[in-house]
Amino acid sequence: MNEPSHRLRQETREENSVVPHAEQRQETTSAREFASVDELIRHDAAGTKVPGAVTDRVQQAVAGERARPAASWWRRFFGETNL
Amino acid sequence: MPLQTLMPDSLDEPSPAQPVAPTGWCSEEFAEIYREHSRPIYYLTLRFLGSPAQAEDAMHDVFLKAYRKMAQFRGKSAVRTWLYRIAINHCQNLRQAWHHRNILPSGDDVDLDAAGGQSENPLRLLETKELGARIQQALDGLSEEYRLLLLLVADEELSYDEIGQLTEQTPDAVRGKLHRARKAFQLHFARTA
Repeated sequence: MNEPSHRLRQETREENSVVPHAEQRQETTSAREFASVDELIRHDAAGTKVPGAVTDRVQQAVAGERARPAASWWRRFFGETNL
Repeated sequence: MPLQTLMPDSLDEPSPAQPVAPTGWCSEEFAEIYREHSRPIYYLTLRFLGSPAQAEDAMHDVFLKAYRKMAQFRGKSAVRTWLYRIAINHCQNLRQAWHHRNILPSGDDVDLDAAGGQSENPLRLLETKELGARIQQALDGLSEEYRLLLLLVADEELSYDEIGQLTEQTPDAVRGKLHRARKAFQLHFARTA
């Protein structure tokens, strides 16, 4: 299959802006192109971290599960029931 | 010898009013599962539900359920696929509860043909903090099915077969819908600029 003739390229560009009546100041802005929607979302996913509070909460929940008393023998025999 | 804390990278900012969490995990096996899979699962819940608070609640529920069912899971599928299944079911149940209150545009009826006429790449953007917000806004404009497919295919560890299993359709159906989902996303994303 032929590839599209106008394939999108990933490039970085720097722009300089001059502020009048003030000392010259360079502002750098980076423009970025993504080759595909998948790449864009993957970039977003790579930059998304699990908050520490979430991890703490999961740890506490798991620890709480471990601390639950063991089911009595008759519950284990007849099956667990949710009370 | 204290348990080694197998925690994924967390945000730098401190949690101001959080109780002191126990250090380490009580299950080394589960700690390893969490360390390896928490980030993609969190990303799915965050972008699917559209709210960090709801994603936090979902993460708690999903991994607690996974912990409870860990003994029953013995390699029937990949761990990540298994976790995704729990997360997807949980998120879809949550969304169903608000479905009648929040009528969202499905986005499926956008003019996909218009995407071909754009002269400028809608994916070109300035790298700003608002990238995540723009992506979220674009995803919110899609149907749940399209949103889910895009989030799953973004995980390079998932195959089309696995995505098909998670969404209960054939890999070919997944490919076809992904094509339309990508186009719809591009249109919505361009509108967020």
